[in-house]
Amino acid sequence: MTDAESTAAETPLTDRPFRLHPLSVPYRVVEQGLGVVVFVLFVGAPAFGAVEGVLGAAGAVALAGLIAAVVVGYGVAYYRRFEYELTADTFDIRSGVFARRDREIPLHRIQNVDISQNIVQRVLDIAAVRLETAGASGAEAHLKFVGKDRAGALQREISRLSRAEDGEPAADAATETLFEISDRELGVLALVSADIQLVSILFVVGSVVLPALGSLTESEWFFALDQGLGGLFGPLATLAGIVALGLAYGAINATLYYGFTLSRAPGELRYKRGLIQRYSGTIPLSKVQSLTVTENVLARALGYASLEIETAGQSGGEGSQGGSQSAVPVAERDRVIELANSIEQVGDVQFERPPKRARQRYAVRYAGALGVLAGLVFLLQTAIGGSLYWWAPLVALPLVPLAAHIQWKHRGYYVGEDHVVTRNGFWVQRLKVVPYYRVQTVLSSETVFQRRRRLGTVTIDTAGARSLVGDDAKAVDVDAETTERLREQVADSLYESLWREANSGNRP
Amino acid sequence: MSDPPDEPPAAEPTPTADDSAPDDAAASADGDPSDQPSVAAAAGIDEAVLDTPRELASTVRLQWILRSTIGAAVIGALATAIAYGVGVATSFLDGSIRTAATVGGAVFVLFVLIGVVRAVLLYRSWMYVVRADSLFLSRGVLTRVQTAVPYVRVQHIDTRRSPLERLLGLSTLVVYTAGSRGADVTVPGLTPDRAATLQRRLERLTTESEGADAV
Repeated sequence: MTDAESTAAETPLTDRPFRLHPLSVPYRVVEQGLGVVVFVLFVGAPAFGAVEGVLGAAGAVALAGLIAAVVVGYGVAYYRRFEYELTADTFDIRSGVFARRDREIPLHRIQNVDISQNIVQRVLDIAAVRLETAGASGAEAHLKFVGKDRAGALQREISRLSRAEDGEPAADAATETLFEISDRELGVLALVSADIQLVSILFVVGSVVLPALGSLTESEWFFALDQGLGGLFGPLATLAGIVALGLAYGAINATLYYGFTLSRAPGELRYKRGLIQRYSGTIPLSKVQSLTVTENVLARALGYASLEIETAGQSGGEGSQGGSQSAVPVAERDRVIELANSIEQVGDVQFERPPKRARQRYAVRYAGALGVLAGLVFLLQTAIGGSLYWWAPLVALPLVPLAAHIQWKHRGYYVGEDHVVTRNGFWVQRLKVVPYYRVQTVLSSETVFQRRRRLGTVTIDTAGARSLVGDDAKAVDVDAETTERLREQVADSLYESLWREANSGNRP
Repeated sequence: MSDPPDEPPAAEPTPTADDSAPDDAAASADGDPSDQPSVAAAAGIDEAVLDTPRELASTVRLQWILRSTIGAAVIGALATAIAYGVGVATSFLDGSIRTAATVGGAVFVLFVLIGVVRAVLLYRSWMYVVRADSLFLSRGVLTRVQTAVPYVRVQHIDTRRSPLERLLGLSTLVVYTAGSRGADVTVPGLTPDRAATLQRRLERLTTESEGADAV
């Protein structure tokens, strides 16, 4: 049971239990030790003093040594009792120092195999491997840590074996690079992702700062220049801070996606990315639930878009990252569309817009929102007894019809041969492609306001991870009759496409 | 998937390659997908059962009213406390327990009324249909929601009874799918017999529709 990493490529990986990489012991000990050190700095020193008082210096040192020994001992025991084994159809893990756990994961249930390496792990040439299935919210298996070569070999072997199980040719055919991020696109990514953060923060801060400025101009001490400037400088500094923060965020995002490559292997997509922390992973094409093409205003103006590929586990990335988990973070729109088409053959999409009367709804909604805002400011004014420009929101009223039109213009749905496509949003436009055979449930809803105008919304639910946060494909404000028709059509198409698939032996 | 049972789906040649249809099974595979027998037909469910819109048991109104009354009591108590607090602190109200209780009582009555009206309207709006290929639900007072759940997507089916439901002789059926809205597919206000029948029926339909891929 040696862990000869250099010969990992030659030795067969199956039907033999393996241990983690030996270097994972010191790494984990140090990682956990850091926690202990922090604890010692804040709690330990006085506690050490107290213990010293009772046991004497030697006793206290012995106790500290004992704690260190326990940490190291646990690390070693964890390593010695952790075993993983790849069989022809399962991935088995036997682990646990005190409570033992044997886990078998059927290979054909594995959604993604992700490898990540931070900078220290890169120096040590070890990597963390995560296996995800649709069941658990987190990773089903988390190997901390195996050698870099072993990680890559495991990833390849798992996808080869699960393909072989599906009856597809198991030959390890050459991969084809689909997409490589260019420096220009990386720059755009930094800019565009900064923008998202900026807009959202600006709105929050703006709503706080602007009334403050409003009251500032009214009050007498505005003319006391030093204070007035201080009052002005504060918000300006805040704005500058936000811009800097946004740019820093963008730059961090750019390093995360540095060197991003997406390649196509038989039956799956593989991605690699990261400057400081490296990630690589697989997205099995047979597990793809839906595709999302996202463009925010800025990206759209520049002609760029991003693509998200959703599987039932995580959305093609590591969940802990928190940020956007895009398959393709940013690329020229044409390339994104082409790539999306190569994964799901949607063909030419002709969007059907909602009926024009939907615009009345948006106009009423926006006008109402402005009215409520003005009313709130007015109430605030009467409550605090000052005079704010409570009518200021109403100045935007002439823009309402335009905004309503823009909102309407960016909505749409398309019912294709094998897919249903929906499009929504002006600030961030999302185009969602759902293959019929991935549809879970279809629901239509009509609010009171929608019923007044004989409109309805059709939501197409998939098992994708993103739909857990309510990011389902939605055809919003379509005609009431279309709502009925669309709901039934999508549900029926599910059976037709499952039938076709079963009879043709491969995926549409 | 609704293949005839004697037909191995994976081995079936593509329709274009299969010129001579030797038996009925292949002939049906040769045709249009819409010619396929429905899941219900394959599961041998009586035609009479299908496509009949069904209502909930009428006692469910009582269940909803009781539940909303409890909520109204809590809100009423809160309103009383707030009214008392406001009365003591400011001059809006006169700060007596009596006034506060009046305010709270009014709020309670208002919410009970809302609850009763909602329960009646919701009961009227509720309808479920066991269709040939999917379970169909329609309900909602302000926002009307209609859900179609294809049997092939059903993961498992629960019936459950809360203490209040047991008291009233009611039962709730929950249909789970792999989608995020699985928990939304809930049929309340069934008699235990009916819930059990529906559960059995849906299980049969789900089993029959299997064979298609899982997640």
